[in-house]
Formats: sequence, C-alpha cells, structure tokens
Amino acid sequence: MIKLLKCEYKKTRRKYILFTALLITIIQLCWALYGNYTEFSIKNGWMMFLYQLPLVNAIFMPLLSIIVSSRLCDMEHKGSMFRKILVIAEKGKIYDAKLIYGFSIIFFCNILNWCVTIIFGYIKGFSGDVPIILYLLYLLFTVVPTFAVYIFQHTISLLFKNQAITFFAGVIGTFCGLFSMFLPQIPILRKSFIWGYYGVLQFVGLFGWTKEERYLNAYFEIMDIDWIFFTILIAICIVMYVIGKKLFCGKEV
Amino acid sequence: MLIKLLKAERLKLKRSPIWLAFLIMPIIPAILGTLNYSANIELLKSEWYSLWTQHTLFTCYFFLPIMIGIYCAYIMRIEYNNHNWNKVFTMPVNRMMIFISKLITSSSIILISEIWICILFIISGIIVDIQAVLPLKSILIWCLFGTLGGIVMAAVQLTFSLYIKSFAIPVGIALVGGISGLAFLAKNFGHIWPYSLMAYGMNSNSPQKIIESGYILFMFICIVYIIAFILIGSFIMSKKNI
Repeated sequence: MIKLLKCEYKKTRRKYILFTALLITIIQLCWALYGNYTEFSIKNGWMMFLYQLPLVNAIFMPLLSIIVSSRLCDMEHKGSMFRKILVIAEKGKIYDAKLIYGFSIIFFCNILNWCVTIIFGYIKGFSGDVPIILYLLYLLFTVVPTFAVYIFQHTISLLFKNQAITFFAGVIGTFCGLFSMFLPQIPILRKSFIWGYYGVLQFVGLFGWTKEERYLNAYFEIMDIDWIFFTILIAICIVMYVIGKKLFCGKEV
Repeated sequence: MLIKLLKAERLKLKRSPIWLAFLIMPIIPAILGTLNYSANIELLKSEWYSLWTQHTLFTCYFFLPIMIGIYCAYIMRIEYNNHNWNKVFTMPVNRMMIFISKLITSSSIILISEIWICILFIISGIIVDIQAVLPLKSILIWCLFGTLGGIVMAAVQLTFSLYIKSFAIPVGIALVGGISGLAFLAKNFGHIWPYSLMAYGMNSNSPQKIIESGYILFMFICIVYIIAFILIGSFIMSKKNI
C-alpha cells in the first residue's frame, strides 16, 4: 500500500492538485471569515462560527471533493492507464490507494481550515476561550460528511470515463444539500442526501432573531446532537465503500 | 461555414447526456425554493419577485457558473482527446469560426436552461397560488439578459478550457468566478465583472431593480466582453501548439 501511495504521489507531481485544493480552501476561508464584525459578533464569535460555517462547508467541501477525486481518477482514464496499473497491482488496492491519497488532501484542507478559523477568532478577539470540545465536534462533523461525499465522488470518478458526468452528479448533489439546509422544517430532506449531513450534524442554533429587532434579543444555543444519524452516516460510508470497491473491481477497464 | 461547424459540434455532442444536467439542475431550486417561499410567506412579501429570488439566488452564483464551466470544459475536452485538435486545425476553416461555433453551442444550452428556469418559475407561482399579475415582461427580460450574461461567462470559460488542458481546473475557476461574482455584485461592480453579469442580468438578488437600472450599458459591456474573449480565444488557437 505504501508503494501504491508513493506511486500516486509521483503521478500527481506537477499536477498542482494540492495547490488547487489549497486555493479553494483559501477562497472558502476568505468568504467565511470576511465581514463586518459587530459587538454582537465579537461577543458570540466562537458560537457564531459554529452556526455559520457548516453552511459554507456544505458548498465548498463537496466541490473540493469533486475536483480532487476527478483529477486523481481522470489521469488514469487518459490513455487507458488502468490497464497498465492493474498489471502490477490489484484493483481493490488501487481503489484504496486512490481513496486514501485523495482524502488525505481533503483532510489536510479540513484541518487547515479548522486551525485558521480558531487563529482568526483569537486575532479578532472573540470573547472567552475557544470551546475546544465543541470545535473538535465541529471538526468531526465536517470530516465525516466530507468523507462520505468523497467516497461517492471517488467511486463515480473511477467508474465513469466521462468526468463531466461525475461533476454534474456532484454539483446537483451539492445543490440539494445546500437547499436542504434552508428547509429545517423538513428535516427528512437533509437526511436523505449525504450532502445534507453538514446541516444534520449542525449543533448550534440561532434563536430570538426577528426581522424588526434583528440581533437585539438573539442568542446562540447548543442543540441536541443527532448521534443516530451520525451513526447512520458512518454506516452509509461503509456501505458506499464496499459497493464502490465491488463495482470498480467488477468493471472492465 | 458557421452552419456547417455548428452541425459538426452537434454531431460531436450527439448521445452525450450532458444537456440533461441543465434540465435536471433547475428543478432542484424550483422545488426547494418554492418550499422555502411557502414556509416564509409572511417575510417574503413581494410575491413573484420574492419567488424569483428563491429560485435563482444560488443558481446564479454557484451552480449555473459551475455547470457552464463543466459544459465548456467538456466541449474543449472532446478536442483534446485522441489528438482531435490536429484534425480540427487541419480543416480549411477560420479558427475564430471554430471558437464562435463552440460559443454558440454552449450559448444555446444556456438559453434552453434559462427558458426552463422561467417555465418552472411560472409553474411554481401557479402552484403556490400567487395572486399578483404575472410580470411576464420582466421574466422575459431576466431570461434574455441572464442568457447574455451567461454567454459572457461561457466565452471566458471556453478560453480557460482552451488554454488549460485539465478538465477540473477550469471548473474550479468557474466556482471561484461565481463566488467572485457575488463579491463584485455586493460592491456594486456587478455590471462590469464577467462572472457577475449573469446574476446581474437575471436580477436574482433584487428583482425590482431591473426597471431602475436599465440595460443599455449592460448589453454594451456584455458584447464587448464576448468580442474580446472571441479574439483572445482565436489568438490562443492560432498560437496553440497541438
């Protein structure tokens, strides 16, 4: 496996995959962190981020997954490279190596995103200490849905030679996930799509906001964490992994 | 010559399911946007205009730019595969015409997509029983100017996809472009930035502004951009090492 991962690294040299991923992460951070920080924002900054950032993640993380997985798989589709690789390694191992390599890039971007957010909070002078347990939970609830989305994207990128199909499937999924976050009154909607789990696992809510008074009586509150659906998401990851690997192993390249 | 090139483009895309995405994608905001409108009907008072915002807000900023990016990258990728550029460039055809034919092909799918968005919008309005008179003229203007803004975006994306061999990078640029469009619109520069023009033309943010702002300048800027990117694209084609 180590050799296959090294092989992936060598194949992706000068392909700027990490660079592209970092660029998207920087844009995500700029968008998420830029804004006018009022007294309310500074006072409730740590909780405000936990409330706002899942929405930004729901847009950027799936798109990052689409781009990274497509780049990694597309280079093999070109020139029928799978035929050559499969002579030296098993199909299942190729699937795993690409999954590990691709997701490690995404995971690195997730960690970077998380660290920069906390550092930014300190620089801005948010009130109180960073609620580290809540932020670790937030990291977990970002990484796991991203992993689910990445397995899906990784599988379809390997199965379809035409990468436009994988892009369209991913974008439509992202769109469903994003819109489902705006419809909390229909919770089943966000639970039906893997892209909607950024919203399912969001555990900070804004209450007391009104159109007239705006943030005058607004406050953030920790909500119940949906551990059942977190477990279901992990089960979905395992099922998608098993099915994806089986489909790839059964596919003629 | 252009007609023949367009026929050739159509043949290249035959049996490709890509166009289906442009029909499926607008259904999602139509359903979910309508649900959101129904749920917040006491806050969204502008009836047809509020519904339009719900339908098009995310579509214009994120998803349609990405879809256009994918489509343009796909059109160029066909030529990159199997050294097809060699065959294309050996044809006795002006290279500018090749670029224009690709731009018209992508523009037609944008127009179809815009019409489909409008049809879904009207159906949704009827379903949620909006009492106000249907602003048909405004819808037509949003649709046409959204298409014009979309053509500018397609011209830019075709140029990137022509220059960059990778499939994913131009799509990433489209994503960044869509977001930058949001920023430019927020800073009141939406009418001069190529990635804001579609959202500006469709008036997804504040539909009532359509009558106040006027569109002569908008049309002029769009046409200038389209001509500029056709020239840039043709220049890249003429210098391209195939």
